[in-house]
Amino acid sequence: MNLTVLWNLLVTGILRGGLYALMAGGLALLFGVMNICNFAHGELFVVGAYVAYFAYVTFGLPPLLAILIAAGASFLVGALLEKSLILPLRRRSKGEWIMNTFLLTSGLSVVMQNTAQRVWGVRYRGITQYWAGTIRITPTMSVAVDRAVAFLIAVVGITGFWLFLRRTNVGRAIRAVSQNETGAMLVGIDLDNIQTLTFALGSMLAGLGGASMLSLIPAYPFAGGKPNITSWFVVTVVGLGNVGGSIVGGFIVGLVESFAFFYLGSGWQDVFSLGVIILILLVKPSGLFGSEVKGVLER
Amino acid sequence: MTDVTQSNQTDSSPTRSIWPAVWRWLQDSPIQPVAWPLLAILLLLPVVFRDAYLHRLLAASLLFGAQAMVFDFTGGYINAVNFGFAAFVGLGAYTSGLLAVNAGISPWIGMPAGALAAGLVGFITGALTLRLRGVYVSIMAWFVGLALMAVTYAMVGLTRGAQGINVPYLLETPDTLPYYYILLGMTVVIYVVLRLVIHSRVGLAFKAIGQNFEAARASGVDPTRYKLINFTLSCACAGLLGGFYAHFVGVLTPGMMVTDNTIEVMALSYIGGTGTLLGGLVTAFLITPLFDYLKGLMEIRLIIYGMLLILTMILYPAGLDGLFQWLVGRIKGRQKQG
Amino acid sequence: MLEVSQLQASYGPLQVIWGVSLHVEQGEFVALIGPNGAGKTTTLRAIMGLVKPLSGTIAFNGQTLNGLKANQITRKGISFVTEDLDLFDGMTVHDNLILGGFSLHDRAQVEGTLESVYDLFPILAERHRQLAGTLSGGERKMLAIGRGLMLSPSLILVDEPSLGLAPKLVLAVFEALKQLHERGSTILLVEQNVYTTLHMTNRAYVLENGQVVMEGPSSDLLRNEHLQRTYISMGAAGEGGFPAPADGGGPAL
Repeated sequence: MNLTVLWNLLVTGILRGGLYALMAGGLALLFGVMNICNFAHGELFVVGAYVAYFAYVTFGLPPLLAILIAAGASFLVGALLEKSLILPLRRRSKGEWIMNTFLLTSGLSVVMQNTAQRVWGVRYRGITQYWAGTIRITPTMSVAVDRAVAFLIAVVGITGFWLFLRRTNVGRAIRAVSQNETGAMLVGIDLDNIQTLTFALGSMLAGLGGASMLSLIPAYPFAGGKPNITSWFVVTVVGLGNVGGSIVGGFIVGLVESFAFFYLGSGWQDVFSLGVIILILLVKPSGLFGSEVKGVLER
Repeated sequence: MTDVTQSNQTDSSPTRSIWPAVWRWLQDSPIQPVAWPLLAILLLLPVVFRDAYLHRLLAASLLFGAQAMVFDFTGGYINAVNFGFAAFVGLGAYTSGLLAVNAGISPWIGMPAGALAAGLVGFITGALTLRLRGVYVSIMAWFVGLALMAVTYAMVGLTRGAQGINVPYLLETPDTLPYYYILLGMTVVIYVVLRLVIHSRVGLAFKAIGQNFEAARASGVDPTRYKLINFTLSCACAGLLGGFYAHFVGVLTPGMMVTDNTIEVMALSYIGGTGTLLGGLVTAFLITPLFDYLKGLMEIRLIIYGMLLILTMILYPAGLDGLFQWLVGRIKGRQKQG
Repeated sequence: MLEVSQLQASYGPLQVIWGVSLHVEQGEFVALIGPNGAGKTTTLRAIMGLVKPLSGTIAFNGQTLNGLKANQITRKGISFVTEDLDLFDGMTVHDNLILGGFSLHDRAQVEGTLESVYDLFPILAERHRQLAGTLSGGERKMLAIGRGLMLSPSLILVDEPSLGLAPKLVLAVFEALKQLHERGSTILLVEQNVYTTLHMTNRAYVLENGQVVMEGPSSDLLRNEHLQRTYISMGAAGEGGFPAPADGGGPAL
């Protein structure tokens, strides 16, 4: 393999890794804090992509602003979904909560996909790039500015999210809820608010991914399928609910995928991924970095 | 039947007493009492309405309904939602179809072979995940399903990939009615087998202890083993129905394994009411013709399924069966008053 | 300050509180004692809104607390140190304490209280960067009490702080509570360790089978014959508190 090919594979892998880290981080947050398996996570990616497209192309806003608006919109959609669907489900359901969230959100995913199809058709709404130009490193190795900035946005998003969780009072409150709900209530944290906020945040991360990757993955009703599958793959591999692990895992999976695609082709790459996950579940069912805090085995 | 004669002798008013005894026998048998009138209706419907279009609708409804029933066997009884269900159906379909196309093997052997293949993959999936928390089974089955679909797309030499393959029909006749009765027969057999498992000593014990693993250990029931039997059997039945589908429709594409199809079957079973087996079956007969008559609805079919699923989860977890039981309760209450 | 009247509540499907009335006044150190299963913990949980009362009223500074959620009651200025402590095990001691002041918006006040908590429990200051899950039993109790203090509460409810601690550590925890009271805190303490508790507190209620069977100044109760016979002699002799009551008591809590 020559250096150029290797370089390109690395660039693609890391860029995709950034996207997966964003999405998987959000997905893991939802499980860690709320015990929610969100199957509609990919649909929030699509929300981000559509909003960014309309803001950037239809309204001609500057790229960065369009992406920010898209992230904000996904945040709002997430909050709305939590208040209108998840909260009533929580009030209603006894036991089997995790499975119920999985079923509810899979219904939601189908509704959102097909509604988008009815409203906007199956047409691809993509852009060639937000930012023109390439950064040349050596005569044969280069990166498109657009890709580099998209990656930067992902990194900033992840870092900001991480700092928010670690350094702010509200971030601490989110982690507190994930560790001990009674304790959280007893220091005055409102569980309902934190849960809405958490869902909105997770949605925002997915939306940010959709918006910043618009040049790579155009907006269309079923654009969320692949990112959804992959972020689920990441959180299962590292262990459900592990936010930090999911971020690292996102990058690893991005790289592995990029190389597997090169060597195996698109069809067999999925088969390869499955083999990996079977092996991991055989050896360590809680996932690579899984903690037993939430309990993986049936009790 | 011995129950009936005994109670006849002991009871003072034999003309009226036979019904409670029959009722009791029906309640005690593995077959749900509702199944009998339902079977009669399904047998008679195509005879009463002699219309080719209607026969096709009935067959389509039954195919969906049987899948919903098989799905509910795991979803409703061991709370393991098989999220790769459509792929297991597809595995059965492709196994039987490819055997017929490439080796000239009769569909009558191909269909059980499809069941075997799906059951085997189901066994492996279950063995890896059923000791974990419920949702792991779903995720794993989903990944297995995605991989099966990917393999089917990728093995172009064998499956012709996205182009799909043409499969010989099960019967010579273009008439749908014989297919319908064959499928009905298969559905009845599957139903009885599933009920026997549910009604077995281990099945009843499992139901009693539920997911309480402390109680399970104390009572000597191995929940994981029961769940594995259940899951494997359900996957095998899915494969069998897939085999039928292959030789009924005659065309197979990998797209049949897509997750949306699983969600459709899942929605049917949850709307019908989980843990009932027949709820999803009845729902299929209500919803499938509705979509077919109203072509406009067909296009937003998945939106409706999804919404109904969401509404069922939030508002009325008992599903249509809950509604039915409530109605029965009301009517019985009336009778007692009157 | 706190006024509970005719409280009835259940623990799971079993009713364990049958008409409990009690009150705590500003600056008091009040004990709620009684055998295992008498309903002491359920009483506290009902006050905090963690258990929904079947009937009866709970008022704090004249405002009714019935129907409020635990986080709202906390914001009224009541801290609850539970039996299980309910710490955030994956977070540092410092973060646990800071979260204790979550509902306060005055950062300077939180910083100030943090200093006084470290002053009261120097060991916490020493371990402020350690994860709560890695602390010893005694340190965890102190962290839980410290976290409760971060709210600058007007009333602190403490549930069985002596539970599972070695005698020396029990004394340390009690010493801390005594200091707290001397610094002006109002405390409602649930304990099984009757002898020490009565020596420390102003007043006490004795709860048996979900009802208050005795109440009064702690010094009077120390001399009470019934208590002397059933609990205190035992408590003075050994570590322990209550033997099982004659009728077998209520359900174990």
